[in-house]
Amino acid sequence: MSRAPRDGGLAARLREQWRQNPKLELWLAWWTMVVFYQIFGIVFVLMTRVMPPPKPWWEPERVAQWFADTHDGLVWGFGIIFLISFMAPACNALIGYSMRRMSVSPVFAYSYIAIYSVSAFPGMLLAALLLCAGALRPDRDPQIISWLYDAAFMTFVGTMGLFLVGTAVWMVAILLDKNRVFPLWFGYLNICNLLTEVVVAPAWIFKAGPFAWNGVITFWIDTLVFAVYTAVFIALLRRMTVRDDLREGPLPETPQLATTASLRF
Amino acid sequence: MERHTDMRSLDGERALFWSLPALILSWVLVFLFFPGFFPPLPPTMSADEVAAFYRDPANQPLIRYSLIVFNWFGIGVIVLLTLLVMQIRRMAHRTPILAYCYLGCATAGPVLFFVADLFWLLAAFRPERDPQLTLLFHDLAWITFTSPVCFLIGQCVFLALAIFLDRQPQPVFPRWVAHFNLAVAVAIAPAAFSVTTLEGPLAWDGALSFWLRNAAIGLWLVVMTLVLGRNVLRERSAMEAAA
Repeated sequence: MSRAPRDGGLAARLREQWRQNPKLELWLAWWTMVVFYQIFGIVFVLMTRVMPPPKPWWEPERVAQWFADTHDGLVWGFGIIFLISFMAPACNALIGYSMRRMSVSPVFAYSYIAIYSVSAFPGMLLAALLLCAGALRPDRDPQIISWLYDAAFMTFVGTMGLFLVGTAVWMVAILLDKNRVFPLWFGYLNICNLLTEVVVAPAWIFKAGPFAWNGVITFWIDTLVFAVYTAVFIALLRRMTVRDDLREGPLPETPQLATTASLRF
Repeated sequence: MERHTDMRSLDGERALFWSLPALILSWVLVFLFFPGFFPPLPPTMSADEVAAFYRDPANQPLIRYSLIVFNWFGIGVIVLLTLLVMQIRRMAHRTPILAYCYLGCATAGPVLFFVADLFWLLAAFRPERDPQLTLLFHDLAWITFTSPVCFLIGQCVFLALAIFLDRQPQPVFPRWVAHFNLAVAVAIAPAAFSVTTLEGPLAWDGALSFWLRNAAIGLWLVVMTLVLGRNVLRERSAMEAAA
């Protein structure tokens, strides 16, 4: 396997990878995943101010004021989400592939991909569409703006089952796998992410306190767990890609196909 | 990954392919008959003007019937997309990842068209309602129809990637199909930002977000049906000749 030329610049090394890297499909999906979560963080935290979320107990006039204050961030931020969310299927595809690489039936990969394909609308895009409708007309009746606000945050926070069951599918596959694609402890870490979807349920009942949609437990602890979980699985999927020999059977412990050394850029 | 070389696995693909001209015809008819599209309703309309559009006795049947037809057949585009997934699976890839990416876009994307159709039908269901509420459904329909272009872009980008990585003497699709798909992705992209303004080319009735985007989607439907048809019909003939 030829290595990238040491004298070449970034473009030359990338071209070399494009031509030669036998795991290009995996690396493209992995980098897409990394870029997607970075942009997701920038849009939801810095631009649209949806994370951390505004208050569930605000009066309609205060909600209308929030839309007015956040207008530009909402419409441009969600514009970016509407543009780049095609990257999410690449994340699901890579995770689905991790299950195809395991010793388990394809039913796990197909269930996971189907569940996460469904989740894009209720779990993220619906909230984005509702908040865009709120931002579109600042002169709309505050009662209606307040309805859009509730609907957006409750669909965003309160879409639970898809992530609950999806995570459970991945977890069971990891625990049953004999090919050692992931360490066993990561199987159990999935329980933490799965529990965040259980813990968030009271947000459908409480409008204030630790269980409201902006609460210490419902938002802060859950988001912390999700962030750690996401960082861990991105790292583990990278490790899987490095080890992968593109064959069946146990995944080798050492890097295979000599492709990663030149991919560091 | 397994290759589908036995003839049985191709059975029915030709039948599904021949449903596509009817599908495209239904999309064109809906586009022509829905009174909100010619010309597209400007987002600057007031709530009363929007309510009057849905209350107009001349508009009501056209709105409802065209949207019911789209409700029936619009989702049929998933058949086209799934036939394209099968083409990707026949490419010389090392993993099924790009086929999975495409399947993800094929399932997540058409739902958005479907939900937009529901919002429009809801706006038309009780037009005597408070105009502010009719405007709400109307806005949600237009935003859902226009802005979330991510999966349309994904369909183009992942197919282009799949074609570039289909490294074999006789690739499944010629390379110009990849370049065509990337050009369509670029044409569709500006519509993502339609909510940023009520006027101009980016607005949902504008040159970029409405005319360029929808022309690109229409062209994509026709061109992809043609290149897909060439493969589906040729594969089957080759199988029969070999049998």
